[in-house]
Amino acid sequence: MSSIHLIPRVIERDVRILFSDTFLIGIMFANFCIDLFVTAATFGNLIGSSFFLRIAPGSNLITAMVAAFQSGRDIWREKYIKDLASYLLTLPVSRRLFVLSRIVGGVARSLVVTIPGTLVISYLYDILFSPRLVEAFVIVGVFSLGIVGLSIAVSAFASTIEVFATVRSAIQLYLSFLSTIFYNVSLFPAALQPIVQTNPMTWAMAAFRALQSQGSTLYPISVLVGPSLAFALLGALCYLWYTRL
Amino acid sequence: MSFSTTQGTDSSDLSGQRTFRLFLQIAQRDIATLFRTPWIIISRSLAFIIQLFVFAYLISRLVTSYPGYFDYYAVGAVVSTVASISFIIGYDIFEEAEEGLLDYLLTLPIPRREFIIGRAFGGAVRSMIYTIPLFVIVAVVENFANPLSLLGAVLDLFLIAFGVTGLSITVAVSVRSANRFDVVLALLELAVTRASTALYPLVALPSYVKILAPFSPVSFAADSARQALMKSSLDVLGLAGLVAFVVIFLGLGATFYFRRLEGGVYA
Repeated sequence: MSSIHLIPRVIERDVRILFSDTFLIGIMFANFCIDLFVTAATFGNLIGSSFFLRIAPGSNLITAMVAAFQSGRDIWREKYIKDLASYLLTLPVSRRLFVLSRIVGGVARSLVVTIPGTLVISYLYDILFSPRLVEAFVIVGVFSLGIVGLSIAVSAFASTIEVFATVRSAIQLYLSFLSTIFYNVSLFPAALQPIVQTNPMTWAMAAFRALQSQGSTLYPISVLVGPSLAFALLGALCYLWYTRL
Repeated sequence: MSFSTTQGTDSSDLSGQRTFRLFLQIAQRDIATLFRTPWIIISRSLAFIIQLFVFAYLISRLVTSYPGYFDYYAVGAVVSTVASISFIIGYDIFEEAEEGLLDYLLTLPIPRREFIIGRAFGGAVRSMIYTIPLFVIVAVVENFANPLSLLGAVLDLFLIAFGVTGLSITVAVSVRSANRFDVVLALLELAVTRASTALYPLVALPSYVKILAPFSPVSFAADSARQALMKSSLDVLGLAGLVAFVVIFLGLGATFYFRRLEGGVYA
């Protein structure tokens, strides 16, 4: 069997690991519901109903981010808790293909976890029964690609779960609060604006908002692809570096 | 007769002192544990700073329907942070049971009652140690200077910390799977802080949350702290609610933990 044919097997394994604890998927959906129906709804009441629709995709992208980081956490657990890393590296697939499969598996997991959220946002944006629904999934997928890459990079260097959790929290803070989920880039101090404008969350939000206004998502998605591919490459390189030790 | 009475009193005093010393040692151990994991302190402090000086500052410029939202949010952020930190004791207790350290701890010459109450107290005190610098930042930014008001707010923070510690211990000894425990505690933390008036005014909450939020212990603590700091008065109802929360969850946590230790229905 050529090693290319093993890629779907590796992806399937990652998806199966996700489904080994369906309770976890349920909790991630509950998390999404709290973000959307408590936080976003409250700010909608405080600022205006249009604000609720404006920040709603943020709840789904935050869920995608949590799910994507779970991939890195699983890789970390394989290495330090389950002692599976050495076994996985003996599989008849090249390391490059293996890490590529793990990244694709992570994206697939994020897409699966966010299906209910993406459908809810699509319903709110009135695109649930339109071909534009596909674009919504593409946005979540491209965004998740970068975060999976980052989480794999962190898992390669974090020696303890506390370090992994701390770096994850810092990245999550950057993605959530230093982006345009809640406010326009113009509200930030000038010194912070470049950080906000290079934040993948900013462009994922811009793409979702283009869906709401029936505009084109081509530009924000093409900008989002840049950091996502860069982070995925970083994750792959870190994984390969770690396997050479 | 008088000799034996004196002897009895001395013995009782000595026993009381010994019990108190053991209780403090258990609490001290939990406080030391927090400082052995500085990463948690760093990440939570960073989260608080960004939450307050980036998120609250920027969002309050958009919230024109509720004047003084930044001030409202600042006090609530301290209360929600102390609640979040108090949940950490549950992770420690869960890990100890998983790693087999609990068996060792149970061999120590400390009665179970002192052990359990000491752990809850230690969890609450370490949350306070962690939160006080953040509270000082808010007090300086908001210009809260009345000593009695500050004392009242610290009492609110301590009560919520003590109660949440009990809640966290209850969950830690009730959930078996490590993965599930992580997410259950994270979700509980999110639900307890978000479905409250800590960060959002009651009038702005959606109707389905508005029904529950006034009964949340985090709401009691946040409203009582705001009353003390912003109006220099005492929120008796909030304090009573907090005391009830502490009694209920400390009792539940202690009962569940005791049963787990002694091989009861949860073993």
